[in-house]
Amino acid sequence: MKCEACLELLEEYLDRELAEREASEVAEHLITCRSCSAESSTLVAEQEMFSHYDRELEVPPALWRQVAEHTVAPVVTPVSGNGFVARFSSLLRVPAFSVSVATAVALVIIAILIGSVYRGTQKSEPTSASAGSPSRMDASQKNEQQRIVVEVPNKNVAVIGGRPKSKRLIEIKRTRIDQTDVLSSDFGYQDVDDQDTAKHLEQTQNLLRSIRNVQLNDSDQDIDVSYDKALSRRLLNENIVLRRDAEMKAKFPTKALLSDLEPFLIDIANLPDQAKPDDVRAIKERVKKTEIVAALIGYE
Amino acid sequence: MKRLALDELNLEAQPGAFAGTLMNSSRDLVTRVCQGDPEAFRLIFDRYSRPVIGFIYDMVSDRELAEELTQETFVRAYRGIRAMNPETKLSTWLFGIARNVARESLRARVRANRHVDLENKSVLDLSDNEPIPVDRLLSKELNELIRRALEALDEDKRVVFTLKVFHQCSYEEIAAITGFSLAKLKTDLHRARAEMRRRIKPYAGVGYEV
Repeated sequence: MKCEACLELLEEYLDRELAEREASEVAEHLITCRSCSAESSTLVAEQEMFSHYDRELEVPPALWRQVAEHTVAPVVTPVSGNGFVARFSSLLRVPAFSVSVATAVALVIIAILIGSVYRGTQKSEPTSASAGSPSRMDASQKNEQQRIVVEVPNKNVAVIGGRPKSKRLIEIKRTRIDQTDVLSSDFGYQDVDDQDTAKHLEQTQNLLRSIRNVQLNDSDQDIDVSYDKALSRRLLNENIVLRRDAEMKAKFPTKALLSDLEPFLIDIANLPDQAKPDDVRAIKERVKKTEIVAALIGYE
Repeated sequence: MKRLALDELNLEAQPGAFAGTLMNSSRDLVTRVCQGDPEAFRLIFDRYSRPVIGFIYDMVSDRELAEELTQETFVRAYRGIRAMNPETKLSTWLFGIARNVARESLRARVRANRHVDLENKSVLDLSDNEPIPVDRLLSKELNELIRRALEALDEDKRVVFTLKVFHQCSYEEIAAITGFSLAKLKTDLHRARAEMRRRIKPYAGVGYEV
């Protein structure tokens, strides 16, 4: 093959869009031709550079709610019976509604429990203030109330039922943020201060976890892995770049972890769109055996 | 990242729903949506909302508008899912809708206000004009550089480039999404790459040493 022909096919070759025969001709030419090989390296480097592109774009949680309002919500609104119970049970099938109901019930129970505990403490301390109005509570009672508020984070939401609704929402939101802080400390990557790497490891962990958890039956039916394959290709590109970065910055534990991940990503990326169960099983077994997911979770 | 970790764990806690990947093939999810299973559509959204919003953002270069158009994409998808050709890949079909939605929005927008001229130095205001090797470019600078170069491509080239380079779609899938012939998309992709290279190279250094 001549250089001219090779350069014309190079992009398609790197995009893996060439027929087998043409691809092998280009591959052979690249081994022997230094200038075409250099051109190929430039294109690969360019692709790697684009794999750095981060739109810093998140899918806001509210987006699903907005989509659901116009899509799945109307599906469940038609009620077969006319009664309140039938209407209510159909509403419970909507995930957002059932979660809200569960939360409301939990808050009411907590409010009742705290109320009874609070009454109990009032009865056990027969002071002059116990018979009076709350505004006449002594300092020790006030402290007791504050202590309870701290110990039971949702209490301040439940007890102050008279507060405006918006206030209560703010309180609930704050509690959720606290939970994410707890999670982040559990799953934080101490050595991996680079956010890109942390994000990459998290996405890879999810991919490998889905492979590890896949249920394979004995039938020979092919499995649709097109999504996982595409994801793996993207993660593979990222992995190569991040591994090099880690090596340059002498972050050897990070580099070692990324090196360990690469064979898995290559294997998944090389699966056909409709993979044989045995191929998936082989990767699944290796993920289990090497405990790579545990290594990712425990990487601190 | 923290919120993502939380979301993934919440998803894992739901029976049979983890990551919505292998355990629920796209075809199964489509069938379930057609049978009226709202949870299946939620899984489709969880799986594809990120690539869809990324693709739309690449097309319109506006965060809020991208969110709005992503919502529109999924609403249209839900309404049309029963008419979807079972041979079509779900991702291809969704990207096709997203592309139409983005295109309609772009056409409705006043182009004059949105036009960005990359040759204008005041627009591409990087720290200095000396070429910087890619590994020394701050990720924010590189992101901005790529975003603006992308924005300067014409619509056809941008859609083809985005689908191939950022979403790893095959030529066949790109042709299905855009309706372009194979010859046109190959030409557009080649030209888009060349234009991106021409626009980024002066700032990113010769040879893209990564």
